[in-house]
Order: sequence, then C-alpha cells, then structure tokens
Amino acid sequence: MEMEPSRPVAEIEQFLADRGNQLLRTAALLAGSKEGGEDLLQAALERLLRRWQTIEGDPEGYLRRTLYHLAADNWRRQGAWRRQLRLLRPGLDLAAPDPFADLELRDSLVRLLRQLPPRQRAAVVARYWEELSEAEAASVLDCSVGTVKSATARGLQRLRELSGGGHGGRDATARESAKEQTR
Amino acid sequence: MTTGLEDRLRADMERFTADLRIPHGMAAKACVQVRRRRARLRVLTASAAAVVLVASAVAGAEASGAFSSTPAAPSATAKLTAYVVRHVETALAPAQVDNLIGYTRMVFPPGVALEPSPAGIGGPQGQRSAQTPWSVGSTVRWQYGDRWTLAAYSPGGQHVFDFGLRFSGDGGTVTAVLYESRTWWTAPGQPSGPPARSGCALGGTLQLSTGRGNGWPALIRAQLACGAFSVVGHQDVDGIDAIKIAGPVSGFTLWVNPATYLPVRMTIGPVSASFEWLAPTPANLAPLHLTVPAGFRQVPPPARP
Repeated sequence: MEMEPSRPVAEIEQFLADRGNQLLRTAALLAGSKEGGEDLLQAALERLLRRWQTIEGDPEGYLRRTLYHLAADNWRRQGAWRRQLRLLRPGLDLAAPDPFADLELRDSLVRLLRQLPPRQRAAVVARYWEELSEAEAASVLDCSVGTVKSATARGLQRLRELSGGGHGGRDATARESAKEQTR
Repeated sequence: MTTGLEDRLRADMERFTADLRIPHGMAAKACVQVRRRRARLRVLTASAAAVVLVASAVAGAEASGAFSSTPAAPSATAKLTAYVVRHVETALAPAQVDNLIGYTRMVFPPGVALEPSPAGIGGPQGQRSAQTPWSVGSTVRWQYGDRWTLAAYSPGGQHVFDFGLRFSGDGGTVTAVLYESRTWWTAPGQPSGPPARSGCALGGTLQLSTGRGNGWPALIRAQLACGAFSVVGHQDVDGIDAIKIAGPVSGFTLWVNPATYLPVRMTIGPVSASFEWLAPTPANLAPLHLTVPAGFRQVPPPARP
C-alpha cells in the first residue's frame, strides 16, 4: 500500500540537507548534465516517498540504487525518446544547450563519460566517483562483480581512446551503445 | 593501481559537480508529484468502479424489466462518453487541428495492396494479393493544410512508393515516386470533398478526403457523429494513459490523449493507425516536401481509374 506522503517530508528534507548535495552530484554524473541530475534525483525521491514506510534502515542506499536504476532505464529508452523527439521537436539536438558549454569543461573527461554505454558509465561513476568497492558497486548496480569489473575496464579503455583521440572514435562508441541498448 | 586517467577523471568529476547544491523544496515538490499520482489513481479506480456499478445496474434493470416501459436516465457511462466524444470532436475541429501537422503511421495485415494514381491511393484494380508489387505493410502519412505526403513500405520494410499532394486555389499537383521501377510521375490533382455522413459502417474501405479540414480528423469526426460510441476505460498507449473509446463497428476502437483529446491510436479490424499532432515548425514541415531521388526517371502518370 502506498503511504501518505505529507508526514515524512520533513524527515526527507532533513535527509536531503545532510546528504542531498552529494546525491545530486552523483545524479548529475549519471545523467550527464546538471539539469538532468536534478530531474533524476527528483524522480528517485518520488519513488522513495512512495516506499518510505516499507524501507528499513538507511534510505540513502535505496535512493542511490534507485538513481542508478532510473539512469539505466532512461538510457535504455533513449533510442525511443530520440525517435519521438525528432517527431515532436525536430532539430532539438542542434538547438539544445550544451551542458558542457563552459570552456573549461569542453575537453573534460566528464563530457566523454556521457558517451559511454549505460552500464560502463554507471560502473565508472560508482567506482571512481563514489569510490565503491567492486562488491558494493555490484550491489548498487544489481549485477555481478565480474560485470562491474569488465564494465569498468571497458569504460576506462573507451575514455582513454576518446580522450587521446585514439582508435575507435564516434562510430565505435555508437556501435557499442547500440549493442548495450539491445542487451 | 591508479593511473593518470583515473586521477584526471576523479578531478574532472569533482570540478564538474563542485557547485551543485540541492534545490530548495525538492522533497516538497516530490511530495506534490506523489499526491497527484495518487489522485489520478483514485480517479481511475473510481471510474472503473463506476463502470462496473453501471454495468451491474444495467444488467439488473434489464433482468427486472425496468427498461420495458419508461426510458431510463442517461447512465454515468453515457454521460462520460458524451463528455469525451464532445471534447474529441472539438479537438479535431478544423479550427484546432488545421494548425497542427497530422502524422499517422498505419500498419496493415498481410495481403493489403495500395497503388498510387492521380485520383489518390487505392487497391490495384481491387486486387488484394501479396504477389502484387504494390503489397504494403505500413504507411506513414503527414498532413498539414492543403498538403499531404504518404510513404508506403512493403511488409518487409522496403520503400514501395511516396505520394504527395499539394493544392493551391482550384487545382493542385499529385506526385508519386515509385521505388521498384525507379520512376516518378506527376499529374494535376483536385481536393475531394468532406466524407459522406452515411459512411458509418466503414467496412473494408477507408476513404480519406483531402484538402484543408479533411483527412483523418474529418473521418474520425464523421465516425463519432454516427454515435453508439462508449468509453470503456483507460489503456497505456506509447506511454500515454489514453482514454479508450469503442465504436459501433466491431473492431473500431479509438484511444485519445486525456490532456488534449486528440487521437493517439485507432484500430479498424486488423488495421491500426498511430497518430501524432505536431507543431508546424520548419523541421516538422520538411517531410511534407516530396523529393525525387537522383537517377529516377520521369514517366507519364497512369490513367485515372
């Protein structure tokens, strides 16, 4: 049964005051933009509110797992979204503001991180931003330790290629993303 | 082992997110969203319960013979249907819909064939054979004002033909691009009138009238005007919690967006059509310009059937 959301708002406000900024930073890295991060965290909070009474212990773990799962879901749907957006608002890709427009971020690895397939990107954020162990990352991502290892290694390798202008390039990333989407 | 790349990655992530602060009132905003969602669920549950109650009441009344002597008051379902249908008719009125680009994707069952001619698109001499070169599995149609284009694809996804009409004043131009023969033709065209009101039983044919205010909106309005529709519930259609309306003809069902009351999907027997209604931006208008691929040869148009 869903709970009445008014009562825990004060508790969640307090929780966000303590941990919100860190969670928002994670969300922004997972979403690839600051605005996307806010949307992602907002969606995760709504799920948290709906499940508040049934969550045992620290809500942060639930919220963090939800962030990763929602981000992965969004990425999986990205292909369909792009097709719809092309119909609804064609030219969006060209017109949309570049969240990395700041000169100092143009060559940032964060910008390149956005080009990784969902699983690799989540693994890299979990391991190198949140500093989670492989076992902890596997728990958050709901996958095996081996998957975390391989996704992290491939993600780093891809970032290395992209940042160094090495082998592969945009086409290879697109192929890899497409493969990831079909899994 | 730590590499330079990993250190740089950490530093970049730190720098990118350094100034992020949680917006004020985020929990309250989430709370509002949860309440709205719960309210929507309550409405849906209440609607479903009302439908069940009405159905039970109708069944009980029929069993007791209550309908035999005096006409019954309109049921809640009938009132709801009348309300929804009125809104759909308003949304599809020419004054509203003529400002939007109508995008329709139709999917046909096996054995359907469509052939372009200067008079429009129809079955090739009435044939319905999978062997014909005009065998079509799906079409994509764009309409805006006095112009529409249609791309037809075979059941296997190959481009069969493009068809476009553009009207101006009393006349216009019809153009068809035929991919199998790598040819194209153009001919004079004229917009047809609105659909006949007598066409309530759609049967096996769909006649879309052309010109401003016609096309799918006119056909759906004409169907709704035939009456005997009924709101039968809600259903998810491509992420939209659409209102489902069942028509008088078996297999005719319409789903409309509850926010705009514009159709999002329609089925007529085994044929389904998905709709989108788009703003006339330059990019959205682009598909309404028919382009003849390079190397295609112009041929005389076929005779009007």
